[in-house]
Amino acid sequence: MSTLEAPLLARWLSGVGIMAHLLLASMFIGTITFAVVAEYRYMRTRDDDWRLLARTFAVIATIFLGVGAAFGTLVEFGLVVLWSNFVTLIGSGLVLPFYFELYAFLMEVVLVPIYVFTWDRFRNGWYHWLIGLVAALGALYSAFNILAVMAAMSMRPPGLEIVELPKSIGQVIQYAAVFTSPSGVLNMFWSGAEIFIFHGILAALILSWSAIVGLTIYSHRRSPQPYKLKALRTMLPALTALIAVEGFVIGHYQGELVVQFDPLKLSAIEGMFWSGFKVDPLLSLFAYGDTTHGFWGYFSWPASIRPPSFLPAFYLGFMVAGGVLLGAWSLGLTLYYYDLHKVKGFGWIKGIERLLVGGGPYALVLLAALASIGGAVTAEVGRQPFVLVKAVPSTTGPPEITGIPVGLGGLYNPTLTLTPWLAVLIFAVELLMPALAIYMVYLYLNRRVVE
Amino acid sequence: MNAVELATILLAWVFGVHIPLVYTVLGVLWTLPALEYASRGDGRYMVAVKGIARYLIAVYAVGGVFGTIITVFLAGMLPVFTNLAGVLLWPVWATAIAFGVAIALPLIGYWYRTLGHMSPGRHAALGFLTAGFTTVIPLMFRLVFAVVNYPAGVEVVNDPSSLVGFDLVVRNYWALFSNPTYPPLILSTLLGAVAFSNALITFVYGYSSSNLEVVSMSRKVALTFGAAAALSGVWYLFELYYYAPTMAWSILGGMPSTIPASLATVFMPTYSLVAPFIAAVILGLVSAVALLTSSRIKSRALNILGLLTSIATVIDVEEVNLLSHLPYAIIPPVSAAEELASQYGVNFALTVAKVLSASTMATTLNSLAVFVSADPAVLYFSMAFFALFTVLVLVGIYMALSWRRGS
Repeated sequence: MSTLEAPLLARWLSGVGIMAHLLLASMFIGTITFAVVAEYRYMRTRDDDWRLLARTFAVIATIFLGVGAAFGTLVEFGLVVLWSNFVTLIGSGLVLPFYFELYAFLMEVVLVPIYVFTWDRFRNGWYHWLIGLVAALGALYSAFNILAVMAAMSMRPPGLEIVELPKSIGQVIQYAAVFTSPSGVLNMFWSGAEIFIFHGILAALILSWSAIVGLTIYSHRRSPQPYKLKALRTMLPALTALIAVEGFVIGHYQGELVVQFDPLKLSAIEGMFWSGFKVDPLLSLFAYGDTTHGFWGYFSWPASIRPPSFLPAFYLGFMVAGGVLLGAWSLGLTLYYYDLHKVKGFGWIKGIERLLVGGGPYALVLLAALASIGGAVTAEVGRQPFVLVKAVPSTTGPPEITGIPVGLGGLYNPTLTLTPWLAVLIFAVELLMPALAIYMVYLYLNRRVVE
Repeated sequence: MNAVELATILLAWVFGVHIPLVYTVLGVLWTLPALEYASRGDGRYMVAVKGIARYLIAVYAVGGVFGTIITVFLAGMLPVFTNLAGVLLWPVWATAIAFGVAIALPLIGYWYRTLGHMSPGRHAALGFLTAGFTTVIPLMFRLVFAVVNYPAGVEVVNDPSSLVGFDLVVRNYWALFSNPTYPPLILSTLLGAVAFSNALITFVYGYSSSNLEVVSMSRKVALTFGAAAALSGVWYLFELYYYAPTMAWSILGGMPSTIPASLATVFMPTYSLVAPFIAAVILGLVSAVALLTSSRIKSRALNILGLLTSIATVIDVEEVNLLSHLPYAIIPPVSAAEELASQYGVNFALTVAKVLSASTMATTLNSLAVFVSADPAVLYFSMAFFALFTVLVLVGIYMALSWRRGS
């Protein structure tokens, strides 16, 4: 017998932990990527500013990798301790991305220190750059695999069957997830998962580059340096382009997946708070290109399986509105740092300089954080109370939403006693570790300035 | 290749890389404060302390990564076992990770950053505190090893509503510590870690003929702690003979007298590990001889031999300990088998034993094993890749060392 929902405290612990890990992982991906880009520019131009940037960001990436990897261990054991029965799902069906992720993890952990320790050690500098490139690819491949698992949690891959055992194994294991054929495990990377994956990877890059750009603008305003301007002129157009692709292309396909595979999540995140089937012209236009399609309302499903009704605030408020504002701000900053305000017809940019540039560091960091939190909550809370969600069409009512419940008898550890003081301790660790990483970066940058 | 062989190969490989790294961290963490304390008056060991401390976090990080790989392999290869271990022993995992990540890692960082910025006595005290907190990690993980040797504190409860016919229950977590195989195991681990790390220090500095005072002290520590670790190992083997007879049978090559003849087939090990065990003893002795003679003979070859045999000893001992459990993931105690047989019948006792075998744990719900058996190239590709990364780890450490020396 299983309960659908797990204790709120356990969900909060996991939620905060995953968010903190996402932040650290995103910062690692963003900083190592930028280090490689900067070194490439150095190799092409022999401009020492780019070399300085590349070396600085390589060290910052190492800090985020170190703390992020340690935090990953914390999250991993959190999985074993809190959601212990997820381990059976890994073994029975979801193992392949985890297995591939080991290679990615090794690529990062082995090559990033080699990259940092071997500046000027190669006669041909392109070999050094290649090490950095493979390390950065390792980081992206790592994200690719973990996001494949997260995609499966929200959209059950084709060929994956949930098996509810006739009797539990030792009163612990009630469910398994099994592919119908051995090669079915490759479906963990099916086309829908790939959209989810690239959506996540772009989000990570946008979050980290927004933070880097924000801090660089702040630093440049306090003590202008040519290398900071070069960094901004490289990163800002790229950031704007990434946000545009994320919003207009991949975000659109991601939305179509939700429409197709999880109508309950769709109704929750879009705030379709009605019962029964109803035409929604605006959503229909976005999803199908016309105004005639109908959708099942949130109250068409039983209350026990409905995700929380606060989701529109995170989806529409934080993710969509935050993302649009972030894109606009980034575009404005791009125009400013390319001196377009000096071109006839663009003088108005100068008029909003104080808001645009002065407020830029805060706006970029805040909006990127809000959009990321909004997106993560939409994806992960939107599928509650199930994992491996699948919508099965019904002739008599809304599609039936199936999956493995996260509560007791599903994923939650039946022997766990989670006391509030223990939870407070864990929350403290979850928040202190990213703070530690940021403090270490601060110390490193300060030392560089002194040197 | 079947699922058990696949699990065995991958786990043996990753343990072989993980254990020397974490032994190094643990041993160095106890050694450096001791050296710092010993040199508080004249600072004579401080150059070596600072030199070694530079690599502590890097080795800790790489060792930790391989620890994560172990978890993924366990979840992928033995999902039912890992799932049950998570449920049964969650306070053990939670304590290990709380100390390992939340406390030990920042403390090591703080200790490193304050090296030279605090009075040597106080800093050494901080170092010992750091080492103490870090030691909680092996204290917990070795408890899991002890449980799979001999599941003291774990009850088998007959349950017809369970698919396997029984449940495993831990009613009192403190009872886990009553495991007779635990004290010698943890003792030999801690003593072995200090001996191993000091042997490394002796041979590495001996090779470069630097920090000769430290070499002399580390040599004595390595020999003393190594001898004590060997004695703990004998104690461990003695306890295995009585409480984990499958392991003793595998290591010693003969059926222990503690196994009733009627249960011989139940407790028979998969592998005879007599040769690897003898090899471990010989490697340990060669390492000890290299330590002893290196004080008189200045030879780079001797230092390399000592370094390699020290590493090989640790790996060999750990592999023997790991593989001697087979065919079991958790070895059923003889007393429990007899009690279950008398209480619920022989068939029930055999069912419990079968469920606790690695074969059941590895083949139940294991999609990776199924996938690999359908497409073995995945396995060969993996092995090649992992070999490459093991080499790269060594290259990385070498480059780090040479870079530091050059700067």
